[in-house]
Amino acid sequence: MTVPGPIFILGVPVVVAVGLQFLRRWTAVTAWLGAVTAGLIGAGVVFLPLTQPWQLGSLEIELGEPLLILGRKLSVQPVDRFALAFLFFTTAGLFVVAWRLLPHSNFFPIGLVTVSLLAGALLVEQVVYTALLVVMAAVLAVFPLHEPETMSGRAGTEEHGDGSRTSGGLRYMAYAVLALPGLMITQLLLDLFATFPNDQGLLSGAAVLMSLSFAILFGAVPFQSWLSNVAMNGSPPVVTFIFTVNLGTVWFMLLSYLQSYAWLERQVAFGPLLTALGLLMMITGGLLAASQQSLGRLVGYATLVDNGAMLLALSLERAEGIALASMLLLARPLSLSLMTLGLQGLRSVGGGDDSWEAVSGAAWRTPWRAVAFMVGGIALAGFPISLSFPARWGLYRLLAAKNLFWALLALGGSAGVMLGLVGVIRSLLTPPATGTRPRAVGPGVRAITVVEDRGVLLLIVVLILVSLILGLFPQQVGRVSLQMAEWYTFFQ
Amino acid sequence: MSPIVAWLKHFSYFTAGLAVWGLFLAGAVIYLIAEWRIRVLALFAQYFFLALLFTRLFADRPELALLKMLVGWLICGALYFSARVRQDAVDGHSHFHWAADLPFRAFSLATFTLVAYLASQHYALPFIPENLALACFLLTVLALLFIGTDEDVVVVGVGVLNLLAALDMFYSSQDPGLLVTGLLVMLNLLVGLAVSYLAVVEVPE
Repeated sequence: MTVPGPIFILGVPVVVAVGLQFLRRWTAVTAWLGAVTAGLIGAGVVFLPLTQPWQLGSLEIELGEPLLILGRKLSVQPVDRFALAFLFFTTAGLFVVAWRLLPHSNFFPIGLVTVSLLAGALLVEQVVYTALLVVMAAVLAVFPLHEPETMSGRAGTEEHGDGSRTSGGLRYMAYAVLALPGLMITQLLLDLFATFPNDQGLLSGAAVLMSLSFAILFGAVPFQSWLSNVAMNGSPPVVTFIFTVNLGTVWFMLLSYLQSYAWLERQVAFGPLLTALGLLMMITGGLLAASQQSLGRLVGYATLVDNGAMLLALSLERAEGIALASMLLLARPLSLSLMTLGLQGLRSVGGGDDSWEAVSGAAWRTPWRAVAFMVGGIALAGFPISLSFPARWGLYRLLAAKNLFWALLALGGSAGVMLGLVGVIRSLLTPPATGTRPRAVGPGVRAITVVEDRGVLLLIVVLILVSLILGLFPQQVGRVSLQMAEWYTFFQ
Repeated sequence: MSPIVAWLKHFSYFTAGLAVWGLFLAGAVIYLIAEWRIRVLALFAQYFFLALLFTRLFADRPELALLKMLVGWLICGALYFSARVRQDAVDGHSHFHWAADLPFRAFSLATFTLVAYLASQHYALPFIPENLALACFLLTVLALLFIGTDEDVVVVGVGVLNLLAALDMFYSSQDPGLLVTGLLVMLNLLVGLAVSYLAVVEVPE
């Protein structure tokens, strides 16, 4: 019996997720089982042949065999393999990171179901279903984002006037649903345009709606509030999941749209639109990052700048731009994971609060968490030595060849993130007054030094080393990004 | 056509106008009154009016309209329990009171309603009866008001559900496929569950 590839890719995570839900008591088992499942599917997508069947017991799995559901086709195309591998490998890595941070969490089962929905979104051919599955995944991610266990002692966020303790999840869900009508109606308009090719109004309507929907999903200005709110009061590992896996899918969805409707890119002012949007995101994100006084918000605004850089790379309207944006996407899980590990520890030192005031001097109490946050932050800002640096440098060079002022503005955005990070570093390194006890900001503050979990320390060291090595030798990742970019031919 | 289906078809045709304004009134109650029991009751009524409107779209398959109403009422049940848990955790008492910034809310509601009405008169939505188009516009403005001007988890959540209802109504009139309908039902359920979950977990222990 031949099993179509999509059943293997979408079905296995869901089945394992059901099992993980019953095993939640044993965090190590759920985390590692989830990570191995996601890793194996990722490896299967990369290494299994697309057209030849693969024997698994009495079953024959053929990756390229399409699956039909009520007449709708799901199939693995060569172009999808990179995207799927990114989703599954990132999920596997984040499960390992969350292993010591989220005891008894539902992040592991829900994460697997979410990645299955997102993979389905990439495999299905009709855009309507892609949009619906992406939004369903966004709503599902809200559950682990605000778990009661990780929210205890987080009342500090309300004191700083940031709304309720669940505003991140609520806003993310609301914005994702707000993006849905645009994507679904775009499909209707494009279908109508195929019937009435002389009606340019249909095309303009589709372009406006599509741009608006993607702007909402990417957290572009003025829709950036969901990014900062999610980062501000969400559980850090889940925030990383949303900013890498969920946003990564949105990125691949945008590329898929442009690939499917290549004429759309030629008929509307696509390049200038993306340039304006990307620059606006980078400048606004940089300014907000430089002026904020909360570690969580800094993560949100640094992601906004990174999203802007990706859109700016796409606005170059050449294959190198797609490769640079993909490289930025590949670098993001590393930098955000480091920031996550740092943020979680620094928040617990601050009694659940992550304002500068609360984490002042925290580097002396939990040095490795502070180092993780700093290294991750420098990487996300696109400064050396990190994998993002060569991608950002390439972007500035290509942009400068087009318009030097734009390149300087983009560089200013990154510098804004770095400025915010310098403020954080100053606060973290504030020396504690001799002979005084740490300020009692909440239940998390117990002693002068915090005894670190050895597993977390090991993870931090490994991630810092990987980040540095890839920053020094980015050629292999660059090659993969270029290969991926070759599949998208809409700029040729 | 079975006599029940034929009767439903006539009934929904004559009551559609009433259902549209019933839908709006229920939304207005949710926006203007801060008592959670009344809000849940209003949402319950809103789903009834929505089902009435959906019977116009699914004239030959009224079971789909019934399904949408049942899913809506299921969401109301989940929200009821969440709101109750929240109420017990805060002070244990519940009494009728208007929303805090009532004049602002009344003014924005009136303005947005006018905008929705004028939009339905000037911008005809394709392939959809006139009163259903008005319902789509009204649901959209209610959703924008709820999401944009309120911070309460339940009200923002109802805004998200209203937006989905508007989209569902519009899209079902263009492409009444079973798969899209099924996925939208699932999305509604997920949103309802997520909202009731968030309403409970945001209560400090």
